Amino acid sequence: MRGALRIVWTFAKLGFQNEAAYRANFWIQIFESLVNVGSAVAAVSLVFTRTESLAGWRPPELVALLGIYFAVYGAIHVVIAPSLMKFMEDVRQGTLDFMLTKPADSQLLVSTSEIRVWKLVDFALGAGILAYGVAGLSERIGPLELLGFAIALAAGVAIVYAFWLLLATLAFWFVRLENLLMIFWNTYQAARWPVGIYPRWLRISLTAIVPVALAVTVPAEALAGRLTFANLALVCGVAVTLLAVSRWFWLRGLQRYSGASA
Amino acid sequence: MGAPAISVEKLAKTYLVPVREAGLRAALVSLFRRESRRVTAVDAIGFSVEPGEVVGFLGPNGAGKTTTLKMLSGLLHPTDGEAHVLGHVPWRREHAFLQRITLVMGQRNQLIWDIPVADSMERNRAIYGLDRARYRRVLDELVELLELGSLLERPVRNLSLGERMKCELAVALLHEPQMLFLDEPTIGVDVTMQRRIREFIADYNRRTGATVLLTSHYMADVEALCRRVIVIHHGRILFDGLLAALVASFASHKTVSVQIAGEIPDLSGYGEVVSRDGERVALRVPKAETPKVTARLLADLPISDLVVEDPPIEEVIERVFAAESVP
Amino acid sequence: MSYFADLYATYVRVYLAAETQYRAANAIWLIGIVLEPLIYLSVWSAVAATQGGEVAGFTPGDFAAYYLVLTLVNQLTSDWHMWEFQYRVQLGHFAFLLIRPVHPIHGDIAENLAHKIAMQVVLVPALGLLALAFRPHFATNFESLVLFVPALAFAFALRFAFEWMVALACFWTTRVMAVNRAYFMVLLFLSGQVAPLEILPGWLAAIANALPFRFMIAFPVEVALGRLPVNEILDGLALQAVWTAACVALLALLWPAALRRFASVGG
Repeated sequence: MRGALRIVWTFAKLGFQNEAAYRANFWIQIFESLVNVGSAVAAVSLVFTRTESLAGWRPPELVALLGIYFAVYGAIHVVIAPSLMKFMEDVRQGTLDFMLTKPADSQLLVSTSEIRVWKLVDFALGAGILAYGVAGLSERIGPLELLGFAIALAAGVAIVYAFWLLLATLAFWFVRLENLLMIFWNTYQAARWPVGIYPRWLRISLTAIVPVALAVTVPAEALAGRLTFANLALVCGVAVTLLAVSRWFWLRGLQRYSGASA
Repeated sequence: MGAPAISVEKLAKTYLVPVREAGLRAALVSLFRRESRRVTAVDAIGFSVEPGEVVGFLGPNGAGKTTTLKMLSGLLHPTDGEAHVLGHVPWRREHAFLQRITLVMGQRNQLIWDIPVADSMERNRAIYGLDRARYRRVLDELVELLELGSLLERPVRNLSLGERMKCELAVALLHEPQMLFLDEPTIGVDVTMQRRIREFIADYNRRTGATVLLTSHYMADVEALCRRVIVIHHGRILFDGLLAALVASFASHKTVSVQIAGEIPDLSGYGEVVSRDGERVALRVPKAETPKVTARLLADLPISDLVVEDPPIEEVIERVFAAESVP
Repeated sequence: MSYFADLYATYVRVYLAAETQYRAANAIWLIGIVLEPLIYLSVWSAVAATQGGEVAGFTPGDFAAYYLVLTLVNQLTSDWHMWEFQYRVQLGHFAFLLIRPVHPIHGDIAENLAHKIAMQVVLVPALGLLALAFRPHFATNFESLVLFVPALAFAFALRFAFEWMVALACFWTTRVMAVNRAYFMVLLFLSGQVAPLEILPGWLAAIANALPFRFMIAFPVEVALGRLPVNEILDGLALQAVWTAACVALLALLWPAALRRFASVGG
């Protein structure tokens, strides 16, 4: 465990050094995050100039949902996304062996090889917006709601990670995958709004095909006091299943790559 | 003797480059304060090239060869000095000038990646406004000279690096330019193909009288192609003259590296000992004596490996740098 | 001018050949193009549901019509080169473009046209399917459809010129992505993508009307939907023409400056 942590810290330091090489880049990253978050908040504000509730969601609840959206987005981009994208590039260039011969579990290494520390800014912004939304909620959040929120959020992040890993593992079979990730990004946009606003067929695709809606909407439902046990069970079930499936798929991919049969 | 194809006078180029040290602390500091320093890429050089010459620009990485080439092809403005190519000032990028020059860069493609080579050629035909009859004739000649054959119908991504370079050369010559700028055209290409490409360039120069300016850090490129060579290092011209003179004066030796199992005796009787690294010893031997010395080494000692090499370019240049002007 | 006719004909043919290699990528691209307007369509339809069936004169059927046409117009006026320009310079390809005796913008325009042709082949059927799902309400007329053509043509020219100019920022700054993204965010709100411009609050709508972004996407959409009376369309076309001329002129001024910059710092 110590060894794994040390490796992760080394990657973080390198990540920061490499990016700080472009001084302008650092401030611009912060600027970009503010622009992203700002425009999402602006869109929500625009909606609420015309109505007081959107499919049963009131403004603070929607703001909280947005906070969760960006916090999860930031969290994905700190480690998971850059690492898995680097992994896909390594497969393409044939430089993956460098990663596979290190003395730690390959899935861990591949998932943590790149750390973009400043993406924590996105996470922090998301958390801030979440706090702002929560402050405006009409009902206080009790310990039960908080527990539900924590579980749903953990499950949501696990779902996103597992889904990313599944997509990235496809790189062992199909070499040009950056486009596939585009699907993820585009569908993740849909998670900015509560799933309930979408027509049924779209809602089903978002939950079943690209389960991003679960990762963001369900935790938000918890905070709004609307979380049903069924939904909580669903999101946990999907998380566990996806984690297992993605791990299995990863091992299969590795086998294929290194030509082993066992 | 008409006007020179290229004339360069006191041409200079300096850049402002940001400076940063390694390490986490320095990285943090650099977020708030930026330092930069002046770097001289080319330092007041001058030379001239006659039409039809094939001139080699020789020097290690960062010597200023590519920067000079870019100034002469009009891509960069010099910080100081003058240059004229085919009667034009290159960085004015006049239409007539651009029609008469071409640029080929090693490991860089102007060919479109996912489609057949022939389509990229069509595109260049349209760009240069070549009438179809002329285009067909030139293309057929190039296909024959470069042995392109079936390559034209294949997408560029399916070609090997060497095949790609041949096609790059072809597409660059469709408009029959009078001035060829070749920036490291054989880099990364296998040895057989390198030779093929050099032969083609020499042949092309003979047939068309086009002037060729070639940069390289391979001695072999320059040896095969250029009678005249300009050695450039740290942005300055160290040698400008016939290749034969350069080779005779400065690359008059070969490096013989031997690997001997067990104890290494004194080898100074065979040649000048240049370096010693574990079991490997490198000897500097005059060119003429190399076959004799090699034979003696193999006969006298338990040699497990023996390699004969030209002195590296850096060594030749060091010697050029160290010497006074060549008579 | 036959030089340019031959140039564009050849370029488009060659780039269309390349497009067939990108079919999978284009299909995935299609999802993105279609999904974002769908999201906003769903949002505003949901808002309309809470407001007794309409928002600022738009019923869900009107929103569906608006967003379907918007998707089409957005694709027909879009370009991607500003996202690649920086790499083109850094990886050395730009040198090849400068060596040629023709302005690099022509190749980009032709490549853009080829891509549009390839995309329309999949986009139009996709929009047709979505029309079945969302039941848009169309109430346009013949004059509007005729005037849509010049509105669309100007919109394309205006947006292309503007975005190519934004791309030139790469000669002055190292991280162009931020500039591009900021531009895209502004465009999102002020060109009618997040919401039809009539829905924007007064002060924002006033800003939107004073800027050229409206004429890149929203204006042709409003024309096509028959939401504007003819005299307003003609006024709009005139204003659009002025914006287009201004942007093209600005680009013509900026290009030599960009070249000088490239030629002094290299790339």
